Amino acid sequence: MLKQIFNKLPKKSSKTDSDELSRSSESPRAAGKSQQRSNGGGASLKRASSSAVFPASMVSGIEPLVPFKDVPNAEKMNLFVSKLSLCCVTFDFTDPSKNIADKDVKRKTLVELVDFVASGSMRFSEPAILAMCRMCAINLFRVFPPNYRANGVVASGGENDDDDPMFDPAWPHLQLVYELLLKFISSSCLDAKVAKKYIDHSFISKLLELFDSEDPRERDCLKTILHRVYGKFMVHRPFIRKSINNIFYRFVIETEKHNGIAELLEIFGSVISGFALPLKEEHKIFLWRVLIPLHKPKSLGVYFQQLSFCITQFLEKEPKLASIVISGLLKYWPVTNSQKEVMFLGELEEILEGISMVEFQRIMVPLFLRLGCCINSLHFQVAERTLFLWNNDHIVNLIAHNRHAILPIIFPALERNIKSHWNPAVVNLTHNIRKMFVEMDEKLFVSCHAQYKEDEAILILEAEKRKEAWKQLEQVASLKPVIGNTAVLVSPLMT
Amino acid sequence: MAMVDQPLYPIAVLIDELKNEDIQLRLNSIRRLSTIARALGEERTRKELIPFLSENNDDDDEVLLATAEELGVFVPYVGGVEHASVLLPPLETLCTVEETCVRDKSVESLCRIGAQMREQDLVDHFIPLVKRLASGEWFTARVSSCGLFHIAYPSAPEALKTELRTIYGQLCQDDMPMVRRSAATNLGKFAATVEAAHLKTDIMSVFDDLTQDDQDSVRLLAVEGCAALGKLLEPQDCVAHILPVIVNFSQDKSWRVRYMVANQLYELCEAVGPDSTKTELVPAYVRLLRDNEAEVRIAAAGKVTKFSRILSPELAIQHILPCVKELSTDSSQHVRSALASVIMGMAPVLGKDATIEQLLPIFLSLLKDEFPDVRLNIISKLDQVNQVIGIDLLSQSLLPAIVELAEDRHWRVRLAIIEYIPLLASQLGVGFFDDKLGALCMQWLKDKVYSIRDAAANNVKRLAEEFGPEWAMQHIIPQVLDMINDPHYLYRMTILHAISLLAPVLGSEITSTNLLPLVVNAAKDRVPNIKFNVAKVLQSIIPIVEESVVESTIKPCLVELSEDPDVDVRFFASQALQSSDQVKMSS
Repeated sequence: MLKQIFNKLPKKSSKTDSDELSRSSESPRAAGKSQQRSNGGGASLKRASSSAVFPASMVSGIEPLVPFKDVPNAEKMNLFVSKLSLCCVTFDFTDPSKNIADKDVKRKTLVELVDFVASGSMRFSEPAILAMCRMCAINLFRVFPPNYRANGVVASGGENDDDDPMFDPAWPHLQLVYELLLKFISSSCLDAKVAKKYIDHSFISKLLELFDSEDPRERDCLKTILHRVYGKFMVHRPFIRKSINNIFYRFVIETEKHNGIAELLEIFGSVISGFALPLKEEHKIFLWRVLIPLHKPKSLGVYFQQLSFCITQFLEKEPKLASIVISGLLKYWPVTNSQKEVMFLGELEEILEGISMVEFQRIMVPLFLRLGCCINSLHFQVAERTLFLWNNDHIVNLIAHNRHAILPIIFPALERNIKSHWNPAVVNLTHNIRKMFVEMDEKLFVSCHAQYKEDEAILILEAEKRKEAWKQLEQVASLKPVIGNTAVLVSPLMT
Repeated sequence: MAMVDQPLYPIAVLIDELKNEDIQLRLNSIRRLSTIARALGEERTRKELIPFLSENNDDDDEVLLATAEELGVFVPYVGGVEHASVLLPPLETLCTVEETCVRDKSVESLCRIGAQMREQDLVDHFIPLVKRLASGEWFTARVSSCGLFHIAYPSAPEALKTELRTIYGQLCQDDMPMVRRSAATNLGKFAATVEAAHLKTDIMSVFDDLTQDDQDSVRLLAVEGCAALGKLLEPQDCVAHILPVIVNFSQDKSWRVRYMVANQLYELCEAVGPDSTKTELVPAYVRLLRDNEAEVRIAAAGKVTKFSRILSPELAIQHILPCVKELSTDSSQHVRSALASVIMGMAPVLGKDATIEQLLPIFLSLLKDEFPDVRLNIISKLDQVNQVIGIDLLSQSLLPAIVELAEDRHWRVRLAIIEYIPLLASQLGVGFFDDKLGALCMQWLKDKVYSIRDAAANNVKRLAEEFGPEWAMQHIIPQVLDMINDPHYLYRMTILHAISLLAPVLGSEITSTNLLPLVVNAAKDRVPNIKFNVAKVLQSIIPIVEESVVESTIKPCLVELSEDPDVDVRFFASQALQSSDQVKMSS
């Protein structure tokens, strides 16, 4: 029966997997060769890879189906390679009735492999590492199918409401492969110095590409694995950070579509906590150029928690970054999306909770200009969330200390709410805060009140003035027609 | 306010407003930059305004975007083409900001300015700018630079040209995928300006690098460049360099890449010539038509006609037609739908015999497709269909499909079919229409969805236009008017709407004898909404009928309505009365 599998399988797999093979496993040693190949067309490629599918099993001649316990220790590594080679065959899972027996053989073999790796009995040989990486590449590295829902069903009205993510039907096998890879990388029997040749940049890039999977189970596996890779392979750390950054850049700047942002941020959460002090310039740039802009995309809600955690981690490392972070939040402050606005307010409170007086003073003027707008938001949740900031003792303390700068800024907002906000709860809260300020410093409050009355009149006057100034400008401008104008319009035609 | 005597400082007005917290104000002032510039005059614009704008870079992205856009058309205000280079510095800074829209707009404005600049100014100012951006420390600058090469290159002296090509090559191998993507996107534009000799060497090697990029997203954009590059090369070079690449891409493991190839393969046919098309591109295209991934088949199916047009009829019949047959029964409705929207265009290519023999059965099966989109796509190309297969054959197979679509549960499908009814009517003729479709048109007037009722009323009008008032009086008016007594007020309202549309088409006499009495009667409706709609309809009828009718029938009715207890009814009635007075006065 085994013979049958063997005879059938290589042919089938050689077509679809040859590309993978040349890319992932051979690239470290034969990069030049694989380049030639991709230029040179199909024929030579097929031959080369079909013999490469089961090289180890041919050489050692070990039956891959023999259990580990039945072979002497000296042979175990060969058996391991042989079993891995068996698992390089991938099956079509869209038809559950196809190759049932073969699929089961592979599943059992994978389980055996997981157990063997978990037992941690002996160091992995170099061929074993190679075989493992190749097996993972063949099984895991695939292109995700298109998502039809994203393209929108045109005339039928888009009435299909099933929002289930698409799951790879091959998951039963994929899951085992992921488990195996995780155990393998975490294993103390794996020598990072040897393994780094095979778990290389290309392998890691492919792993990162998989984070776009729609299946949260798969992303979870990937997260744990990448985390371990980051921990174990010091040499790859800069590369991993850079590659993840590129994913973030593409997400923020180009597509706004990626399924794995939350998981990638989660990895970064612990990466950040490991940064050495003082922070390197590279890491500060990461905060400013990547983490802060990540607040911009519409889908912020999906990964907000993880993002906020990363920011907090940064500030715990280096509290002096607080004013920079807040000014970043102000830059990306949402103006039409109330849900996002509430999230921003939440994050803001968390940052303010740990901010020092000096940092607070650096940012308080623009901050409270913004908060003034939030207090007046017609969305009651936004207004409410903003006013709740005054429930926080630390924040109230900061405000009280700087009341001479802050009250004049937000006084108009408070007055406006009391006069005309539609939501009774918001009006109520505003009253409380107003009272708080009166109790804090009545003299200041009275002078702000007077100033407010005065300002209102001035504002109207200024608007008038501005209108008048523009009117005059228009007039002056109309008297000075642009001389070059006609010449400019004609000249490009003539040349 | 005695401000008239105060001296006016235009720049001060701008600076003052750009400091305002209100972003709307800042935006407004940027939008009126040209006013300030004109008030300042050219010289002071160059010396004061532009430098000020160069420094005002730390602002909201929206303001920066507006600035970038305004500067693009600012050449006249700085004194014309010979001073255009003063506009470059502020735009250069804007090219480096984070926000994509701002950068894109700045590049666009720079291109617009650069296209007008004098050759020497380009060499002295524009090219150094491109070089600075291309070596920018942050990737945003390098991304922006890629879109400027095609403007800079043609004016450069030989040595600089070599340098620019080298720099572009470096950008294509940049460390950041974002830069490589931008370089790949702009490669076609740049290549079009490069001399043929360098095209084959420098540009092709750059292109090769891009096509082998390890990032899917970069290779994808390289495919987009294939067709553009192919058109620039001599046929034999195209066969030697582009063809292998595209054939390779058509078997890429990423469906997105194959999708791109499917989308533009036909564009390459001309570039490589008929021989290579036959031996290489047709097999590749056939493979794409049979791709495993539906998304790829959708793209390929959508290009069936365009591709067939390039081929000889024999090739099309031999290779493409069998695939078309398969696609017409594809498991994905979207594939069938894409095919249905283009398949009629194949008829002229195949010729009459092949069309009737081979294409017609496919066409008929698509017309009976279970998915409404597919049927709709066929019906929307009805005029073409008619030319090919003739009206008899068409009407037999068409009618069941139309009836079914007319009752489709998705209102958008119903809407689409209503919009084709006038076309159908003109193609099928009066006789056919009377028996089969008349009832449908009435039925739509009572649809549950407003948009359908609205479209149905419009449809009735268009039919009246098509077949003339007499026909309308016989075949549609009685049925329409019957419905004015419907118990549901929304349906009565639809009929009022239909009447207001029909009146101009049917003319004065029919309107005053047949339509007007009904409208006047409806003024006694118990629902206020009907009553004020009556007022509106009457207002629209006033210019159509004789003045005596207005005086004797319409006015009394409106006067009555203007004393209605309901405020809206009174409002519209008095508005109608007012307009009747105006009509009278003007005539």
